[in-house]
Amino acid sequence: MPDSLQAFFRELADTHPKWNFIFFYDLTQLDRVLSGLWMTIQLSVVCVILSVVIGVVGSWMQGSHLPIVRRIVQGYIQFFRNTPPLIQLLFFYFALGQFTPTYSPDGWLEVPIISNVGWAIISLSFFAGAFNVEIFRAGIEAVPESTAEASEALGMNRLQTYMYVVLPLAFRVSLPALNNNLVNLVKTTTQAIAIAVPELLYEMVSIYNDYSTAQNASMVVLFVVFIVLVGILVLGMHRWERAIRIPGYGG
Amino acid sequence: MRKGWTLGLAAVFAAVALSPAVAAQCTNDVFKKVMSSGKVSIGVKADYKPWGFRSENGDLVGMEIDMAQDVADTLGVELELVSVQSSNRMQFLEQGKIDMMIATMSDRADRRKLVGIVQPNYYTSGTNVLAPKAVGLKDWSELKDKPVCGKQGAFYNKIVEERYGAKVVAFTGNAESKQALRDKKCIAWVYDDSSIMSDLSSGNWDDYEMPLASEDDNPWGLAVPLAERNCVFGHMMSGLSYDWLQSGRLIELEKKWGIQPTAFLAAQQERMKDWLAE
Amino acid sequence: MGAIPGLTAKSRTDLAVLRPFRATPAGAADDLLFSRWIAGAPGWLPLAMLVLAAAWPATALAQSNYTYTQAGDALVRWLPLLVTRGFALNIIISFATMAIGTLAGVALGLWQISPNRLVRRTAWAITQLFRNSPWLVLLFIVMLAFPFEIRIGGWTILVPDWMKAVFGLSLPIMANISEIVRGAIQSVPSGQWEAAESLAFSRRQILWQIVLPQCFKRMIPPWMNWYAILTMATPLVSLLGVEEIVTLSRQAMEAEDNHPELLLPFFGFCLVIFFFYCYPIARLTVRIERRFTVKF
Repeated sequence: MPDSLQAFFRELADTHPKWNFIFFYDLTQLDRVLSGLWMTIQLSVVCVILSVVIGVVGSWMQGSHLPIVRRIVQGYIQFFRNTPPLIQLLFFYFALGQFTPTYSPDGWLEVPIISNVGWAIISLSFFAGAFNVEIFRAGIEAVPESTAEASEALGMNRLQTYMYVVLPLAFRVSLPALNNNLVNLVKTTTQAIAIAVPELLYEMVSIYNDYSTAQNASMVVLFVVFIVLVGILVLGMHRWERAIRIPGYGG
Repeated sequence: MRKGWTLGLAAVFAAVALSPAVAAQCTNDVFKKVMSSGKVSIGVKADYKPWGFRSENGDLVGMEIDMAQDVADTLGVELELVSVQSSNRMQFLEQGKIDMMIATMSDRADRRKLVGIVQPNYYTSGTNVLAPKAVGLKDWSELKDKPVCGKQGAFYNKIVEERYGAKVVAFTGNAESKQALRDKKCIAWVYDDSSIMSDLSSGNWDDYEMPLASEDDNPWGLAVPLAERNCVFGHMMSGLSYDWLQSGRLIELEKKWGIQPTAFLAAQQERMKDWLAE
Repeated sequence: MGAIPGLTAKSRTDLAVLRPFRATPAGAADDLLFSRWIAGAPGWLPLAMLVLAAAWPATALAQSNYTYTQAGDALVRWLPLLVTRGFALNIIISFATMAIGTLAGVALGLWQISPNRLVRRTAWAITQLFRNSPWLVLLFIVMLAFPFEIRIGGWTILVPDWMKAVFGLSLPIMANISEIVRGAIQSVPSGQWEAAESLAFSRRQILWQIVLPQCFKRMIPPWMNWYAILTMATPLVSLLGVEEIVTLSRQAMEAEDNHPELLLPFFGFCLVIFFFYCYPIARLTVRIERRFTVKF
């Protein structure tokens, strides 16, 4: 931040006590904002990738011959889609968190191998994964059965059929709905504030709790940053969609 | 060119900032509103036992609620309680949603700029930690680089981080922080020493202790709107605070709500002793 | 004639092509995902959840003098307050948000197809803006910025906190409803517009008398789907102090001295009550969709 701009924001804070853009002229606060932003980006990327993997695996398990496997997937999906993600986060961190194995760096502290960031990733990925399973399932249904039968006739087992024939075809149909879900996931990462994950919203809230004059400024900057982040994602997804769109599908 | 423009802008701001402040005339708006409507709206906590918490039928009860009732009785109006949180209590007062606030708020210089905190302070508490006996904490410096649980919004989170290098993990509620402490996700829980003392005396935390010396003894302040601070409402609350401290009313309330008797209240009562009293 | 990817020019992707287009594709994925899945829950699921929630404390190690039975008792004592004041407020917020969001969303959706270019672009921008913002951030901003009372003439209207939350949540709902409306209108074959025009209907008449009545039935299932999603999002307002079920649960736990054993019963109850509310709605949504599927 050039000095003149820093001076400008300092003056603004003095004359308009409600508009203290403290992170523009105070380096410690800027550090906090940047670390929060980095955490949000990391959370988003990891959760997106993990949830897609869960979606792929889950939709494969749904086609399993064993009814017990199908029921497990059903149960998992029902739990994650019928309960608020905020409460899922709290529940995971406190309930399941009690039973995670721990290691001790100093003889007292039991650092669980899954930290609160880890639980946020798990909870959010499973949440989005539940939706992805359905999205992929719908895509899989659009693949003609004859194609799957043909690959079976060629000697591929179920897994090979799924990975080399069905999934690539299903993916193209599912992409618009998948994009929707992934954008939603990025927005849902803000809820990790409930288990004290130091992402962007948490850092902004900490800043305006410490400096009550910075409240309006932090909210404005937070809003703009998220619009930009999500906007970039949406634009990128849109271009990808357009590139592999099948004419006549999707309207 | 840009530097010249910025300097010019800065000059304009400086001129505005340095212009002589006009002496504020007391208009007593909030006070008049309270007296004419017959109702005073006081902001209190709903999640900080035993100063302000909720009973099973939904009512707000606690030491500060009793103090609020005293205020309403003194004014001769009806009491309306509004539950507030650390994150919104000052905004509510500024916006006018509540007429005054008694909400376990620490008296700080930057807060005095936004709301009218009256003197004398009615209570005080220091920052301390609840830590397991097994850890054997002796000094604040042992918290360096260790995770410490806290509550979002507390002003001492920042102080503990900056002064001792601890890593504060701030949760939205106290139940979550305490559970994290029990789960050994953090080495200690940083909070008001008065609240920690009442937890320790409840008998559920026998393996824990409050080992460190209380720091940053920070008096609490109740607040009226900034414009009323040096007018009727503010002066009335000053006087009422003084009477509470002197007559032992606050000590009585402390005992009623099971709070450990603090040296602060006893010392204040002694200091303000009536020379004619027996 | 331009280059045809895969034939006369290099194909843009190496993913294979699918079979011919169908008017009602089997996987209209996004519309009803949520509700279909809740509705598809096997009957034993709610019971299993209850059993699990009750059995978990028994397997957890006792950490203090406070037992899980006492925690259960505490929950039972606070149940009336949590349900009648807490959950009831969640429901009220969801109804009010849906009402305001639908009205605003329909208007915005109609503006998105307006022949006036400025109106169309502004409506599109607003829709995209609110569709892509995180709900929690919107809530924070609206609740911090919104005044707590509105003065019109001599009247002062008090705006309680939950109403501010309603405005905050209705913004993304409005954007999503507008997309539903736009999608539904655009799915009506253009032949109908042209035929109506040739019969000398004005644009307004076409919209209100011909197109919208057809769209209405089609819009109901996704609309109900968004209602379920919104209900799931109402606990977010607890992070801003509105006294709905999660906030009241926290206050109740504080009043019970914050024993960590309380966390499981209280948060578990929140999960269960939301599930029991959304499940019938989801089943209803899927039933309605089946009845009202319009085929061309």
